[in-house]
Amino acid sequence: MQNVGGESLLVPIGARVVDVNGIIVLNDTARCVWELLAQERSVDELASAVAEKFDVDFANARVDVQTFLDEIAHLQALQS
Amino acid sequence: MTALPTDYSSLIRELQHRAALIRQPVSGVFELTERCNLSCQMCYVRHSARDLAQRAKELSAAEWLRLAHDAADNGMVFLLLTGGEVFLRPDFFEIYTPLTRMGLILTIFTNGTLITDKIAQRLAEAPPSLTEITLYGATAATYETVTGLAGSYARCCAGIEALLKHRVPLGLKTTITRHNVGELEAMQQMARNWGVSFAGAWMLSKRRDGNHSEVEDCRLSAQECVSLEATDRISADEWVETAFRDSSLNKDSNFNCQAGKTAFVINSSGEMNPCLSLSQPAVRPLDIGFRAAWEGVQRFVGDAPPPVSTCRTCDTRSYCPRCPAWSAMETGTLTEAAPYLCDIARLRKEHYEGMQGLAP
Repeated sequence: MQNVGGESLLVPIGARVVDVNGIIVLNDTARCVWELLAQERSVDELASAVAEKFDVDFANARVDVQTFLDEIAHLQALQS
Repeated sequence: MTALPTDYSSLIRELQHRAALIRQPVSGVFELTERCNLSCQMCYVRHSARDLAQRAKELSAAEWLRLAHDAADNGMVFLLLTGGEVFLRPDFFEIYTPLTRMGLILTIFTNGTLITDKIAQRLAEAPPSLTEITLYGATAATYETVTGLAGSYARCCAGIEALLKHRVPLGLKTTITRHNVGELEAMQQMARNWGVSFAGAWMLSKRRDGNHSEVEDCRLSAQECVSLEATDRISADEWVETAFRDSSLNKDSNFNCQAGKTAFVINSSGEMNPCLSLSQPAVRPLDIGFRAAWEGVQRFVGDAPPPVSTCRTCDTRSYCPRCPAWSAMETGTLTEAAPYLCDIARLRKEHYEGMQGLAP
């Protein structure tokens, strides 16, 4: 994750540069999830952390987390 | 979360604006060599590939990587590798490959003539976000009149084809001179045929090192520049035009671009400057540390004297592309008017205000 002027960015590396062909700007929730993903975690664990940090209910947090995970999975930005 | 292409200029401009507020050195340029296998008369660098004195001054691959890590630790995200001709360096991939693992947005400027299928294949393993090749003509005769090297046109085309074959992101541009302006549309058509972007720059400056320049034999006249610009057949140089747009905002400020605010250049011998066209203040990050060097560049930009009063009060100022680097290359000062640009500004004003019915 990179930071430009306070904005958090994901930059593709390796052969992914051609397929992603862009940069990904993370909002606060996405940045929180991305940082937590330094370790393997379940979706529920991530949603609980987001709900606590941003003072939102668990169900909404889980939807947001799953959306983010789906997007970065589509971009093949995660390795298990 | 928003995924946007890296050439999405408004996003990049906004990120640069935010970085400038905190003086984050987000955009770096590494000039890996000042030597080139071509001999273009109009080049502002222009050292021979066989210039051993130049070669001896060049940083090693290990030194470039140390600088890259130091710069990244201080906030660099965008990195341009340029020359001279970068593929003259036999150790290019010793520099490039580790850079591709650092999370940087990499761009390479090259003339393309040294890009073999093998080089394209290696680039494709971890491609840059963009490779930009400068095309000097649409025919071998014109191209080689500009570059001074027989066979260079075919080699450039082969380099382009190799990059396309291996899906390495590619854009074409040209440096417009008296010798190739007649083939501008043909070059655009070549780019269209290859399915890649195309841009042109026609503002040719004298040499950065102050040595004798033959650029005046190559430049378009001011009238030709303004006419060309008005037909919208080319895209003007982005850096200069950014400065041009902003220069009316602060009459006393000399640097009105990103140089020294978010952008820096390290030349082939390891000196840091605000932009490619300046050889000052030449601070050495390998000796004093990246942070201290970046602060030195910021001070140089912040303390730069304002343009001369004739420029500050000039009624064509908002049309003038002069910047300190241009003054340095044309007059040897950071502040004096550059007569070639004065002519362009005057003709631009006549043209654009005439179009709006504002001219007397």
